Amino acid sequence: MSIAILLILAIAAFLAGLGGSYLGVGGGVFLIPFMTLALSVNIKVAIATSLIGVIATSSGAASVYVRDHLTNLRLAMFLEVATTLGAIVGALVGLRVPDFYLYIVFGVVVLYAAATMARIRETAKERAYQAGEESPLTKRLKLSSVYFDQEDQGVYRYRVERPVAGFGVSAAAGLFSGLLGVGGGFIKVPAMNVLMRVPMKAAVATSNFMIGVTAAASAFIYYSQGLVDPGLAAMVIIGVFSGTNLGTRLLAHAKSSNVRFLFALFLVILGTAMVGRLLFPGVPI
Amino acid sequence: MQERVSNLRRAVVAEVEDINRLIYHVLRAGVVVSVAILLFGFVLVAVTGYPIPDRSIAPRALARPLFTFTPEGYLSLGVLILIFTPVVRVFLSLVSFAKERDRQYVLMTAIVFANLLVSLVLLA
Repeated sequence: MSIAILLILAIAAFLAGLGGSYLGVGGGVFLIPFMTLALSVNIKVAIATSLIGVIATSSGAASVYVRDHLTNLRLAMFLEVATTLGAIVGALVGLRVPDFYLYIVFGVVVLYAAATMARIRETAKERAYQAGEESPLTKRLKLSSVYFDQEDQGVYRYRVERPVAGFGVSAAAGLFSGLLGVGGGFIKVPAMNVLMRVPMKAAVATSNFMIGVTAAASAFIYYSQGLVDPGLAAMVIIGVFSGTNLGTRLLAHAKSSNVRFLFALFLVILGTAMVGRLLFPGVPI
Repeated sequence: MQERVSNLRRAVVAEVEDINRLIYHVLRAGVVVSVAILLFGFVLVAVTGYPIPDRSIAPRALARPLFTFTPEGYLSLGVLILIFTPVVRVFLSLVSFAKERDRQYVLMTAIVFANLLVSLVLLA
């Protein structure tokens, strides 16, 4: 690899780390197409490098969010059971499911989530604890939590709705990451925010915390098969780490409604790309 | 009675705080150490004039290139440390839930940890 390509990759990784830590995704969905299309890296090597970038985003950003109490550790643990199981199933049987159906299903899910997130603004009232009974599972697992929002200097106690449905969607997200080598944050964040009614910032932080575990299992497999290019991986790690240092700082002071809007925008682009892939086969996303 | 309750509550918060700090330090240390080793690897590239390697070294074969100070050894080590950081984090969560005697979460974390091991063994 030439030095110029490595430097370009480090800049792309910086942006992936910045955007990834701000939106709760690993940045794999940016990095894989960038490496294959712009730098003509082999797809398997690109996936391996991207998985390592996902871990770097996760560890770099999640550490800060855990320290600032934005992450819901119990919810993360609960959903990680689903994502890791899903990832194993994805790696084992997923190869027999035609790509076509996966892209249709996830394209539609992503566009639906984008519409919901753009339509409803997240206000303080929306974020606050809702009256009524908690679901028995939420109560039993003590999933509801509290976080401090630097935007308006408010402490918000929130409750987690529909834990079973969230568990199911997380399993599907795990399936997808096992197949494609991405963290799956683009499904986890809407699952938590739209379905389980977790406030946006807490959802971003919790998703960031979870994606590292999902990616680690796959990354080790790619590593043992000799698909990790240490030069590329090193550049991605260094770039991503610098990006997360900026991204985490931006999120802390950001307006939740803006984060949510940007996430919706990101989903629209992603969903369009997924559906577009069906119309123009051969373009990896 | 009231005072006792508030003391208990403070103790619980302090304990949660401990776990958060520990996870923060582990994740942070994992990335920082990895980045430091990778930078050292690039310094070796510049000093020794070896090309930047494009194949990683298996963990078993890592000792030799580390002792002979070749770039591929240090670049591979940095990447490996990063990959293992989340695994260590899950293990520490397991220990901390066990300390809290929170059986439900010990079980869940154990399942996650087992899944990680299964995917390593099954597919490696």
